[in-house]
Amino acid sequence: MSHLAHTVAVRASGVDMFFGTPENQVVALQQADFEARRGELIMLVGPSGCGKTTLLSVIAGTLTPQAGTVEVFGQRLDGLGQEELTAFRRKHLGFVFQSFNLIPTLTVMENVMVPLLIQGRPYDEAHARSLAIIDKVGLKGREEGRPNALSGGQQQRVAIARALVHEPPLLICDEPTSALDKDTGGHIMQLVRDLSRSPERCVVVVTHDHRIFRFADRIAEMEDGRISRVVDDPKLLDTTHL
Amino acid sequence: MYRLALNMLFGDRAKLAMLLCGLAFSALLMAQQSSVFFGIMSWTYTPMVNIRAQVWVSDPMVEQVNDAKPLRDTDLGRVRSVDGVAWAAPLHTSFVQARMQDGNFKLITLVGIDADTFAGAPAVLTQGRIEDLRLPDTVIVDEWGAALMGRMTVGPDGKPRNTPLKVGDTFEVNDIQARIVGICKVRRAFTGGPFVYTTYDRAKGYTLGARRTLSFMLVEPQKGVTPAELCDRIERDTGLKAWTSDTVIWSWGERSLARNTFWWFWTNTGIPFSFGTAVLLGLFVGIAISGQTFYSFVLENLKYFAAIKAMGAGMGVIARMLFVQAFTAGLIGFGLGAGMAQGIGRVMIEKGMPPFVMYPQILWATFALVLGISFVSALIGIIKVSRVDAASVFRG
Ligand SMILES: Nc1ncnc2c1ncn2[C@@H]1O[C@H](COP(=O)(O)OP(=O)(O)OP(=O)(O)O)[C@@H](O)[C@H]1O
Ligand SMILES: [Mg+2]
Repeated sequence: MSHLAHTVAVRASGVDMFFGTPENQVVALQQADFEARRGELIMLVGPSGCGKTTLLSVIAGTLTPQAGTVEVFGQRLDGLGQEELTAFRRKHLGFVFQSFNLIPTLTVMENVMVPLLIQGRPYDEAHARSLAIIDKVGLKGREEGRPNALSGGQQQRVAIARALVHEPPLLICDEPTSALDKDTGGHIMQLVRDLSRSPERCVVVVTHDHRIFRFADRIAEMEDGRISRVVDDPKLLDTTHL
Repeated sequence: MYRLALNMLFGDRAKLAMLLCGLAFSALLMAQQSSVFFGIMSWTYTPMVNIRAQVWVSDPMVEQVNDAKPLRDTDLGRVRSVDGVAWAAPLHTSFVQARMQDGNFKLITLVGIDADTFAGAPAVLTQGRIEDLRLPDTVIVDEWGAALMGRMTVGPDGKPRNTPLKVGDTFEVNDIQARIVGICKVRRAFTGGPFVYTTYDRAKGYTLGARRTLSFMLVEPQKGVTPAELCDRIERDTGLKAWTSDTVIWSWGERSLARNTFWWFWTNTGIPFSFGTAVLLGLFVGIAISGQTFYSFVLENLKYFAAIKAMGAGMGVIARMLFVQAFTAGLIGFGLGAGMAQGIGRVMIEKGMPPFVMYPQILWATFALVLGISFVSALIGIIKVSRVDAASVFRG
């Protein structure tokens, strides 16, 4: 049991999440159980509206469920106040969004620096670390440009640099490739895997995009607000070693 | 993060320009409207500007310069004997009817000044000399008044034309002839039409009906005596009321006749109200424009602030970012607007119309208002960001 606790990165148990008024209630999650291990890249798949984004938000502490417990790297999220949740996200989380969410009026460099500056790091340190990660995602030389001057794939690279610059244990990606073409999507996932593969880390990716399934260690299928099946397809696992 | 906040603000030149234009325009509107308002209101103490005496002495019951309660001629001697008085000169002011050559009557402001010292004489004569007033039946008329009292004739093109009075023209006051020997330039007043200057003694003649004609005494302090000190002495020794002539309407000293006149009009007439509504309208438009432009700026950035919040920025940091942006924009916008108001003001002061007085207080008030608007807009932005669901960043 203690060994198991050691390998668990994220655990959500018995999570209920409803939206709307009692008369007009939408059930997004119903007794959902989810587990992600340290060092793995796990994907969440399922039909539209089954609750993938909602589960991700609950794990990220941006939504507080009506029932259930959530634990991320040993930290229980239930019972934390807004400011504590914010501090938790600041330290433990990196985000990659479908719509990139880069700030258009800031340069690539400044966008990447945001998580470090939020942590209160000195500007120079943030600058140096951001430069290093921009190099790693292959955008060296573009750091003073604006995100809008980049292609979709390049913008998502900036987002990945921003998500990883502060070396968060948990990386959360919601449809990171759905705005990208197939090849670009593959490159992006390759980058996520390369940069985040470590025993102290865990990556959760919500996706519809079957073309990137091969990057997953495990795939959790969702249906009607709960995890219905987790597949451990060795074939998919094999491709991850490419 | 504050550096990033500023870069966010300056990052989009087009939107920044819009925002600054809105703020600058509203600052301009507020400063300009108020300055015109105070310009009009400053006409109330025009006599203090035109007559240029250091100390004014009046009947104790007088509250403001237009409400002269006549003094006795013997009071002049009493004032002259007060310690510290260099000289004291009589001043007559009254509204009288003047009969023009064509038979029309015009209401004029008659100003009688001491023929020895010419104390209270207009500063600028565009034609004639002040000494000519010593000739019999002579007057000096102000430029604007000369036009007001002018003759309507039909020009060669068949259109009606106004011919202003000129040196050599005559009119009558109480059947006594008045011959124009000079034209002067004076500041316009709130009350009273054309200013007609003559000697104190002749003014007595022009107003033969009046029993007493000494409206004010103009007093010059001796070297080393301040006007305020002299006022104290005159009041103590004569029981009359003595005033300084400084036109600082914002001081709370009781001594300034200009100040008392200004605030008397403020409290006792509907003038501030009728002109003030225009100013208020300007203020509202200004507040609306700058509030609106700032608010839309905040709304456009809401999505990004939500992302920053999701990434773990506390509300304290976000609030400070918004305040930094708001105050920076407010400061620059105010600077531009105030600069433009100054420029426009300079042109207006040169032309004299509309009247324009931009007190430092107006700038301070505009500054406070613009910053206040920025503050409120930032506050609304902060409330918006605090309400926005951090989870919303996952949606499209
Ligand atoms: N803020 C909200 N208010 C009301 N209903 C919501 C809200 N967020 C999600 N829902 C509802 O909860 C359910 C699950 O939504 P969720 O976004 O988690 O689905 P999803 O699996 O991510 O779908 P998709 O693949 O289309 O992104 C849906 O029925 C959705 O309409
Ligand atoms: Mg979704």
